[in-house]
Amino acid sequence: MSVIKAENITKTYKETAVPVHALNGINLEVQEGEFTAIVGPSGCGKTTLLNILGGLDHPSTGTVEVAGTNITDMKDSKLIDFRLQTIGFVFQAYNLIPVLTNKENVEFIMLLQKRSKAERDKRAMELLEQMGIADKANQRPSELSGGQQQRVAVARALASKPKFILADEPTANLDSVSTANLLDMMARMNQEQNATFVFSTHDQRVIDKAKRIVTLEDGKIVSDETRN
Amino acid sequence: MLFKIAWKNVWRSRGRSLVVIGSIVVGIWALLFGTGFMNGFLVGYMANIINNDISNIQIHNPEFKKDYDVKYYIKDGKEKAAAVRTWQGVRGATTRTIVSGMISSPKKAAGVQIRGIDLTNEAIVTHLDSLVAEGTYFVGINRNPIIIGSKLAENLGVKVRSKVVLTFNDGEGNITAGAFRVVGIVKSSSIPISELYAYTRQSDLTRLLGIGDKVHEIAVVTDPQADEQAIVTKYNTTYPGDQAQTWRETAPELAVMDEMYGSMLYVLMTIIMIALVFGIVNTMLMAVLERFRELGMLMAVGMNKLRVFVMILVETIFLGLVGAPIGLFVGWSTLKYYAINGVDLSKYSEGLESFGYSSILHPYIDNSVYFIVTIGVVVTAVIGALYPAWKAVKLKPVEALHKL
Repeated sequence: MSVIKAENITKTYKETAVPVHALNGINLEVQEGEFTAIVGPSGCGKTTLLNILGGLDHPSTGTVEVAGTNITDMKDSKLIDFRLQTIGFVFQAYNLIPVLTNKENVEFIMLLQKRSKAERDKRAMELLEQMGIADKANQRPSELSGGQQQRVAVARALASKPKFILADEPTANLDSVSTANLLDMMARMNQEQNATFVFSTHDQRVIDKAKRIVTLEDGKIVSDETRN
Repeated sequence: MLFKIAWKNVWRSRGRSLVVIGSIVVGIWALLFGTGFMNGFLVGYMANIINNDISNIQIHNPEFKKDYDVKYYIKDGKEKAAAVRTWQGVRGATTRTIVSGMISSPKKAAGVQIRGIDLTNEAIVTHLDSLVAEGTYFVGINRNPIIIGSKLAENLGVKVRSKVVLTFNDGEGNITAGAFRVVGIVKSSSIPISELYAYTRQSDLTRLLGIGDKVHEIAVVTDPQADEQAIVTKYNTTYPGDQAQTWRETAPELAVMDEMYGSMLYVLMTIIMIALVFGIVNTMLMAVLERFRELGMLMAVGMNKLRVFVMILVETIFLGLVGAPIGLFVGWSTLKYYAINGVDLSKYSEGLESFGYSSILHPYIDNSVYFIVTIGVVVTAVIGALYPAWKAVKLKPVEALHKL
């Protein structure tokens, strides 16, 4: 079952003196349970594509279907709720809420989904345990290393039980050990819970772990390779 | 958790929040004390004039106040005053015979309003006896005693027991004069009492005027909670030939001051609140701008705009809710202290007294002002939060997430 279906996506930024064509006719379908890396050099359109797939930005042309829903022209107010229920996000800079504890950061997304306190507590602790940082539950993000913070961010992304998780350069700020740990963690989630991950990266270590590698160049897919 | 985040965000930049809370405290304190101070001025001033001079209600022949001609007296004035004294809500009523004239000492002369008073009832109505600073209240001099104000005494260069001459037109329009001896000198912040009135016994004045026991004015003092207007209406209905007026009509400038005080609170509040709004907008805008990325993340992961808006609003209201009770307490304590001890303005007493103000001021505010101020602070906080909150919800997550 496909969780993402993008057809003929283009994105042109017209704010600059010379229009920039960031994406030129992207066709991409991601199936449930995939562990996909979108790779390519800087400026090839990886982040733009992820933003469009995640409903954070609208394509100039083409259609995007996420979990069976066409989000191409969906209003921003509806998209916010759609993202809450459907998509998990992991950002390069972690973007945790500094005034909350790590557990509260994970819980927060479930609170927005109006889940009960008992369910929030249980799932937040489960996820932090799976990420190996349950002992840091009551600490603030600033008390953790970058790798640990990114694991909290992954736990937060999983907390909402999304159809898939979009991760924009998740290892860009991490050292090699943290990167390896984080990738192992995400690979395990993918295998054990069939969680769908789509990364943008140019980190070879992430590329090595990916089951599918989509390569972009100048806003076009130049290769799409699936590994066993 | 939204409230928890908002509360924690308030303390994220402790110094900045404390500055805003401090400005709220100072703003509320200034508002309460300023209002209390002004109120103390006005209430004291008005109380002095009403209690010692014009009284709550005055009754005249409708023609009398046009040119204070002695022929326009109140018919059966003494009987009417006696009747009014028995009415509910009336604490006292006194009669006066009034004539304009000149007072002369060996050194100087001055224009005065000569008031022939009923000694007992005048003391009940205007407490004239309590204002006597030198000499006595018509005791010790049997023939033509007179009481004058301290300023007038100073102008004339007279003291207690000095002789003065009153000159005026009698009931038939002839110029008449009488020699009086100063029995007492009254001191009051009221300019008319201090400078313009000369008090004699009613019998002495009516004898010189040759008008029998006729009176020109009945002054009525009411109980504090009494409905002055109802008493006036009752009098005018009972005695339609006369004209009874409340102090609001007798001294319309006082009524204007009374109304001005009411609006002054709102003027002062508006000024202080506008200053506070700018402080709050500045702080909250900084708080929003430095959290662009975080707010972008919140909207990216699914926090809707209404929640973001409410979060910023609640943060601001929290600032107000921390500052308001402290400001109210500090303001209340200051007012309480000065209400008992008074603010000593004796350094400026000469200037103040020349305007009819007392040199010891007792600030006072009505309890409702605390409530109005609290509401005002919350409204100010909400107004101050609107622009920053609007700025926050206008964020595009995709742009905010990539802000450095």
